[in-house]
Amino acid sequence: MKRDSGIDRRQFLFGAAAVSTLAAGCAPLTQRVAGRRRAEDISLPKRGGSEAHRFLHRAAFGPIPGEPRRFAEMGRDAYLKAQLHPTDEDDLAMKFLLSRLDVMRMGSAELRDLPEGHVMRQLRQAAILRAVYSQWQLRERVVDFWTNHFNIFAHKGDGAYRKNIDDLMVVRQHALGKFPDMVRASARSSAMLGYLDNQVNRKGVANENYARELLELHTLGVYGGYTQKDVSEVARCFTGWTIENRFMRPRDRFRFDPNTHDDGEKLVLGQRIPAKGGIEDGNRVIDIVTRHPSCAKFISTKLTRFFLGDAGESVQPQVERAYQDTGGEIVAMLMPILTSDAMLDGPPVLKRPYDYLVSSLRALDAQTDGGEALQAHLDAMGQPLYGWPMPDGYPDRTTAWTGTLLARWNFAHQLVNNEIGGTSINPDGLAPYGPLVLGEGAEGASLGDAAALLASPDFQWR
Amino acid sequence: MQEGCDSYRSWSRRAILRGAALGGVAWMAGIPSALANLGFRAQPDGRDTLVVVFLRGGADGLNVVPPYLDDDYHRRRPSLRIRSPKESAAGTKTLDLDGFFGLHPSMAGLYPLYREGKMAVIQAVGSADQTRSHFEAMSAMERGLARLGPGSDTSNGWLARYLNHTAQEGDSPLRAVAIGDLMPDSLRGGLSAMALPDLGAFRLRGDRSFRERLIEAYGSGDDAIATAGRETLRVLDTLNRLDYAGYRPTSPAVYPSSDLGNALKQVAFLLKAEVGLEVAFLDKGGWDTHVAQGSTTGWLAGLLEDVGNSLAAFTADIGSRLGRTTVVVMTEFGRRVYENSGLGTDHGRASCMFVMGGSTRGGKVYGDWPTLADEKLEGTGDLRVTTDYRDVLGEVLTRRMGLDQVDTVFPGLRHRPLGLLA
Repeated sequence: MKRDSGIDRRQFLFGAAAVSTLAAGCAPLTQRVAGRRRAEDISLPKRGGSEAHRFLHRAAFGPIPGEPRRFAEMGRDAYLKAQLHPTDEDDLAMKFLLSRLDVMRMGSAELRDLPEGHVMRQLRQAAILRAVYSQWQLRERVVDFWTNHFNIFAHKGDGAYRKNIDDLMVVRQHALGKFPDMVRASARSSAMLGYLDNQVNRKGVANENYARELLELHTLGVYGGYTQKDVSEVARCFTGWTIENRFMRPRDRFRFDPNTHDDGEKLVLGQRIPAKGGIEDGNRVIDIVTRHPSCAKFISTKLTRFFLGDAGESVQPQVERAYQDTGGEIVAMLMPILTSDAMLDGPPVLKRPYDYLVSSLRALDAQTDGGEALQAHLDAMGQPLYGWPMPDGYPDRTTAWTGTLLARWNFAHQLVNNEIGGTSINPDGLAPYGPLVLGEGAEGASLGDAAALLASPDFQWR
Repeated sequence: MQEGCDSYRSWSRRAILRGAALGGVAWMAGIPSALANLGFRAQPDGRDTLVVVFLRGGADGLNVVPPYLDDDYHRRRPSLRIRSPKESAAGTKTLDLDGFFGLHPSMAGLYPLYREGKMAVIQAVGSADQTRSHFEAMSAMERGLARLGPGSDTSNGWLARYLNHTAQEGDSPLRAVAIGDLMPDSLRGGLSAMALPDLGAFRLRGDRSFRERLIEAYGSGDDAIATAGRETLRVLDTLNRLDYAGYRPTSPAVYPSSDLGNALKQVAFLLKAEVGLEVAFLDKGGWDTHVAQGSTTGWLAGLLEDVGNSLAAFTADIGSRLGRTTVVVMTEFGRRVYENSGLGTDHGRASCMFVMGGSTRGGKVYGDWPTLADEKLEGTGDLRVTTDYRDVLGEVLTRRMGLDQVDTVFPGLRHRPLGLLA
C-alpha cells in the first residue's frame, strides 16, 4: 500500500494544470520545441564579446542567440529586476518536457517503485532542462550554487528518492529567499538527514556528522569560531531529528522523536540552551549560527566568489553587510554582486563542466532532452550532478578541472556534428556565426569552426 | 613469432606498444620503440615510481590495524571491535602483525607482502590538524603541511613541489598522473601533472583538422587552461602509440573490477610501457563511516577488501618492477575511539599508513603506540598522533625519489625518518 504525502504531491503538481491545457492543443507547442531561433551572435567571454555577453555568461548560463541584443536594449537594472523576482511563467517547451518526468510528479514513496538509475537520470535531466531553457536563468545559477552548498550525494542510501523533494522544498523554495529559512528547511530535509546521518543521531553517544557540517560547511566556516566541544553539543541538540519510519506513516518525512532526544542542558557557542527544550534545541542552534557574524562572512564570501572569482574581494564586504542588515536575504546579498563592475570586467572564472555544457547548448541554440547520452558527457567531464560524495559540493577552483579538457573537446565535436542522442543543433543555423568566429567580413562559419570555438580556451571561461 | 620470456621487461613492453606485432621494425632494430622520437625520458634515472593511494573520508585506522591486545580498544568498541587472531572465527581471521597489532581480515590479499617484508605499517600517524574537518585535514596533508591556518590554502601540493623541484629538460608528459576526473590538491601546481580519467577512453574525436585547430588554439597563453590543453595534447600523442585496450595483466594478477582496481591496472600499464611515469596518485572514497561501519564484515570490510585485493593485484602484475616502485597508502585522519549510537565512528585524529615496495623494510609495525587510556586520548576521545605523516612521506622522497632536501617539499619539518626504507 502506498501512502501519498499531500504536501509533496501538491508541490509537484504546481504548474501541471497549465501544462496539460497546453498539451491538449499541442501543435504550436511542438512547433515551439522544434522551432529554431535565429542565430545572431555567439559569445567569446574572455576576449572580445560585449558586456552583455560577459554579463550573461555570469548571471545566466551564457546567452542564447539574440539575447545579448535584448539585454543591451533592456539594460542591466531592468534585467535584474525581472530575474530576481521570477514568476511561474516559463518556457513552455521546457515545462512540457519537465511535466513528463516522474521526479516532477511523484513523491519519494511512489518513486521507490522505480529503479534508482532511472530516478537519478531524471533528476539530472530536470536540472539540465531548466538550466538550458528556463527564462529565469539567474535563479538556475543560484540554484546551482545552493545545490552544491547543501550538497546531497544522491547515491548514498535512499538519496536518489529524496533529492527531488530536497531540490524543491529546500533549494528552489529558498534560493532567492532568506538564508536562515533554507538552513531550517535543509535540517528537516529527509535527503540531508539521510546523507549526513542525522537520522541515526540519538542520545547517548550522538552522531556528529550533520552537526559538524552544519557549522563548518553550511553556516560558520571552519574558522568560524566553534570548537570540537561545540560540535558535540550541537550534535546533542539535534538528537531525535530523524526521518519517519514508523508503521503506516508517510515515509521520508521529517520527524522529531522525543524518545531519542537528549534533553539535558547544552552550551552552544557560549549560549546556554536549557534542559527539556525538545525540538526547540535544534531550532535554537539554527538561530544562533545563522545570526552569528561568522555566518554572514562565510556565506557572503562564498557567494561572491561563485560569481566573481578572486575579483570578489572588494565586493564581499557589501554582501556581508547586506546579510547582516536583512537577516540573510539572498536577493539583497546578490544585488551588490550583480551590479558590480567586476561582473563586466573582472578576471574570468572557469566554467565547471555543467556550466560549460549548458552554455555550449545555449550558444548553439541546441535542442536537447537532457537525457542519458548528454549526461554521459557531463559524467566524462567529471560533474555528474548529485554525484559528489563529500558534503562540500563540486569544487569551484580552476585547478580541480584542468584534467578534463579532453572530455570537453570531445563533447564540442560531437555536439556540433549531431552525434549526441537526444540532442541536436541546426547546422544551417551556424552560418551567421561566421564573422564572430572568423573575424569581420568572413562568410558563414563551418561546423569545424563551431566545434573549435566551443573547444577553445576562451569558451572554458565565463 | 616467439615471445621470449628471458626479458620480462621487453616482453611486457612489446605487448603494450601499439602495432608492435604488425610492424615491429623499430623495435627489432633495438631502438627503444615508437616512443623514442617523442623526445622525453622514458625512465626516471635512479628513482622509484611513487604510487600514492589516498583514502578519502577518514579511514578508521583502529579497525584496519586493530590493537587487539589493548583492553581499552575492546571496551570502547563493544560492537565494532576486531577480535584477536586467537578469538576470531575462521574465515574472518584477524591477521597477526606483531603480536599486538593485527590486520583486518579483509586485507588478507596484502598479508603475503607483509610477511615477505615488503610492506610496512605505521600506526598512530597523522597531521597536526585539529579541526577534524575532512577538508581542512585533507588540504593540510595534500599541501604537505602540519596544519592549515586561515589564508594558508594558496600553496601548491606536496607532490607538485617535489615535481617542480626535480624537474628537468625532457621530462615526460606522463611524469605525474592522477587517475581520475579531477586534479587532486597533492599534484596541484605541479609541472606536467595530468588527471587521466581512463586511459582506454583517452582519445580525441574528430578528424585531423579538429586536432590541428586545437593545437593552434592552445598554442599560446599561460593560464591554467591553455597550459592544461597543451599537456593534454602531448599526452594524447603519447597514449595514441600505446594500446591499453589490449592490455592483459601478468598472471596471476586479477584486479577487482572496482575504480581502484582499474586505476591501479592503468598505473601498472604505464609502468610497463616505460613512458617516464614517476608519480601516480589515486584515491578511493567512502571511508566516512559515521553509521553502521561493520566489523569483520560490512561496509568498512568491503572497502578494505577492495584496497587489499587491488594492491595485491598491482604488486603481482608489476612483478620485479616492485623493486623500483614505492606505494604509500594514506588518509586524512582516523576515527573516534569509541563507537557512536549509529554503530559507526565519528571523526578522530590518528590513523594508520602503509608503505610497500621492493625497498621497504616491511614486516613491521612502526610508530609509538600512545595507548587508549583515557588520559592518553586527545580531545573528546581520539587516538593521539605520535608520528608526523610528513616523516613517512619525507623518507620516501629522500630515500627513493632522489629528493636532496626534505624541506623543499615539507617546509619547516624537522625530519625524523623512521627507517622504513632501504
